[in-house]
Amino acid sequence: MFKKIKSHFATDDVEVKRQDLYKVGVRYDRLFELIHMLRDEYDYKILNAITCTDWIEEGHFALTYMLTTLDRKHTFMIQTMITREDAHAKTLSEEFKQAQIMERDLHEMYGIDFIGNENLKELSLENWVHTPPLRREFDTLEFVNNHLTFREGRDDNVDTKAESKRLRALKKAEKEAAKKAKEKAETKEIKDGE
Amino acid sequence: MTEGFLQEQRTLEGDLNSDTSHKSSVDFLMNWFRKRSIFVLAYGTGCGAIEMPPTFTSRYDAERLGIRGAATPRQADVIIVSGYCSYKTLRRIIRTYEQMSNPKYVLALGSCTVNGGMYWDSYNTIKKLEDYLPVDMYVNGCMPRPESILEGFIELQREIGEGKASSWQKYEENYDFYRKNQEAVLGKKVEPSYEADWYLYDGGL
Repeated sequence: MFKKIKSHFATDDVEVKRQDLYKVGVRYDRLFELIHMLRDEYDYKILNAITCTDWIEEGHFALTYMLTTLDRKHTFMIQTMITREDAHAKTLSEEFKQAQIMERDLHEMYGIDFIGNENLKELSLENWVHTPPLRREFDTLEFVNNHLTFREGRDDNVDTKAESKRLRALKKAEKEAAKKAKEKAETKEIKDGE
Repeated sequence: MTEGFLQEQRTLEGDLNSDTSHKSSVDFLMNWFRKRSIFVLAYGTGCGAIEMPPTFTSRYDAERLGIRGAATPRQADVIIVSGYCSYKTLRRIIRTYEQMSNPKYVLALGSCTVNGGMYWDSYNTIKKLEDYLPVDMYVNGCMPRPESILEGFIELQREIGEGKASSWQKYEENYDFYRKNQEAVLGKKVEPSYEADWYLYDGGL
């Protein structure tokens, strides 16, 4: 099977991750061909998940399709790259019904446009107008600081790190002072003894 | 174990003697009736909802204090916001709260409603509930145990009895303030779409 995939799809990126888990990287234009082949010839008939990884430095999204055999003994990860700018992909919901909601989720969180998907309405972020939140250029903390108000801390609120450092230094100084005093007393005793 | 129960016993027996000299006896009676029959909306958000069943069932038995469940917002006196509110939940909470009839009270559970709690840097969770709804009583903890929830209820009952709990009036008077804050996070259309068949409408869910 691997040989066939390697020769047929011109890819070297075939990897056995685990005894039951294989990964293959494939060009986007060959993706559906590969999925069809796995589904029809090798019994990979269950679509587990579609996930997305944001490679912001390389400028692309990595879409991963997880396919499982009907006896649930083998899983195939099919990874493909799509460009980050104006990200779009063809929908898989004609082949696998469950892909519809997975793609809807990806559309909400990454802003990937799945062409042919009948409903890409947001699931949990109603009327969201900002950057899709799981894109890496979306700065969560900055967004929270700009859009939401925090409760002010109490008056006796202190920076715990600085405070513990200060207390530790105080304790150390105290200890050294005690040590010095003890030494002094001892030397005095010795002197008295003499 | 006895700590929570001692206070409950005190409220069961001894609060008829509280100072009511500045109020008419009708007021006193109204408040007394109100505080002795608190109907709590069966609505839970976030993880705190899991602490409410034990509070209301036989182990902690809130009904002996006059606190019991209500099926719909129109019949309820208290809404418990039991944990973090995402924007989507907040829409539903606001609608539910505005459906309730006066007098109505808000009990907020957990540190998430106080200052965001562990969701302090979440883009989808509000940090201070009192910006969006008037809160009568906060119960802190993550999550508060049923004893703490009962304590919160007893404190709320005390305030109702004294006539101090008047957050619904505050909401009406400062409606512009609350509405402004709600619109700031939820957009101009605060209320959720109102289709009865929402799970079928517009592609579903």
